[in-house]
Parts: sequence; C-alpha cells; structure tokens
Amino acid sequence: MRSKPLNLYQQRIDKNKSFLMYTTAVLIFGIGFTYASVPLYRMFCQTTGFSGTPITNSSKFSPERLVPAKESRRIRVHFNADTSLALDWSFIPQQRDVRVLPGETALAFYTAKNNSDQDIIGLATYNVTPHKAGQYFNKIQCFCFEEQKLQAGEAVDMPVFFFIDPEFAEDPLMRDVDTITLSYTFFKAKYDNNGTLIPVPTS
Amino acid sequence: MSFGRPPNISTFNPTPPEKGSFPLDHEGECKQFVKEYLECLKKNQGNNGNCRHLSKAYLKCRMDKGLMTPEEMKNLGFQDVEIKKD
Repeated sequence: MRSKPLNLYQQRIDKNKSFLMYTTAVLIFGIGFTYASVPLYRMFCQTTGFSGTPITNSSKFSPERLVPAKESRRIRVHFNADTSLALDWSFIPQQRDVRVLPGETALAFYTAKNNSDQDIIGLATYNVTPHKAGQYFNKIQCFCFEEQKLQAGEAVDMPVFFFIDPEFAEDPLMRDVDTITLSYTFFKAKYDNNGTLIPVPTS
Repeated sequence: MSFGRPPNISTFNPTPPEKGSFPLDHEGECKQFVKEYLECLKKNQGNNGNCRHLSKAYLKCRMDKGLMTPEEMKNLGFQDVEIKKD
C-alpha cells in the first residue's frame, strides 16, 4: 500500500537521483583533485619558492641586466670565511672587500688549504647579511653546494663570480645598505658505505 | 627544519649559483691572473670598476684551460670591457 501519492513519490525518486549525481560528482572531483594536487603543488612551490624551494629563474642573469648602474654608489661587499671544527683546512678570503656597482659582475677569491695528511672533501654554504639585501645577491658561479676535494697538503684558489642585482638601486629599503657581507662556511663531508655524501658533524 | 620555530623569524635561503660550481684549479694554471687581479684590487682600494679587465682575463684563462664551460663574455657582464687596458 502506497503511503504517498504517486507524483510525490516520483519527486522523491528524482531528488534522490539528483542527490546521488551531485555526490558522485563531488567524489570524482575530490579524487581528481587529490591526484592533481601533486603536480599543482610542485608548480606552486617552484614559482613562489615556498618552504625553501630554490627559485631557478635564469632571466635574472640575462646580459641586459649585467650592466653596471653607473649613477649608483659603490656598494662594499665584505668577505668572511669560516670552517667547521671538524674540518682541518685553512680557509680565508684573498681580499677583504670589493666595491661594486649594482649590475657590475665581480670576481672574488678565497683560498683553502688542506692542513691534514688525508684527502678531505669539503662542502660550502654561504650567507648574506644584511638579510634584506640577500635577495639581490646573485651568484653566477662559485664553489658552494658541490663537494670540493682537496688532497693532503693541497692549497687551491676558489673564485666567486657574482653581481648585485640592478634592482637594488631602485629599492628604497636598500638606501641605507652600504656594505653587504658574504660569509662562506666549509663543512667536512665524506662518502658513507652506500656512496652517499654526508656531512661530518663536529665531534 | 622549519617546524617548531617561533613565527616571524625571517630566514635566509641560500640558492645555488646559476652556472654551478667552478672546477678546482688544482694545478694553479690561472694563478698568475689571480695575482694580477688581487694586486689591482689592492691598488684601487677594492674598486672593482678599474679591475674588471683582469677579471675578464682570468675567466678567459679558465675557459681556455678547460676549467670553465665557455660562455660569451656579454653573458657574463663584460660586454663593455676590453682585456688589454694598459
């Protein structure tokens, strides 16, 4: 025995059907979005540099931007060098500072000497102060991030080829920045049994 | 590594260099150019503008000796610098 009239029953069936359609659509969208989120997140990270993703944007290094801004003042780039306690190297800058114009490419040298009696692999990282000027410090080529192996007793020159982005001259926040300090720190690294390069902690 | 720190700590993110790492000059093949450049810097109180021709010469030495991938000088910012300045 039917408790409701036929058209209301039919309406209920239709409502349930459309509800089912909507739910299925949401489900499919949800699953699709979950799959798509991996490449989308990767694209987002690469464009915004979110959570430390390196922005490898080579348009910063196009030849038109590598022109010295002759009207600007010269900025003093001061060089600093450190080694971890575990690393028996002498690592010093060869020049105390270099004065550059924004957009002017410049070369600087560090010297590293392996004072021990074994071949040692070093890995360098760097820091730029003041912090706000770090975004304008562009390195074309240097010796950081990749392993550098020095044989026992060997001394070698390590160059850094860099420039200060010409946009530095346009930034009002940089008006009080006359000195930028570039600090390099060398850490000891070695290959473990699996062939992976691992840092050696200061024991 | 970025979890658990107090908020609003601005961090510095080191970025890799554009052209990667310089191969080490183990034999000191371009050492003469290094010396000349450093002497020039000392004489000019660190003024890079007067010593750029020596930087260019050093990089050219590296390219000639296979210690650097050859690159056009204008891509390295030396389009207006002549090597022989004296």
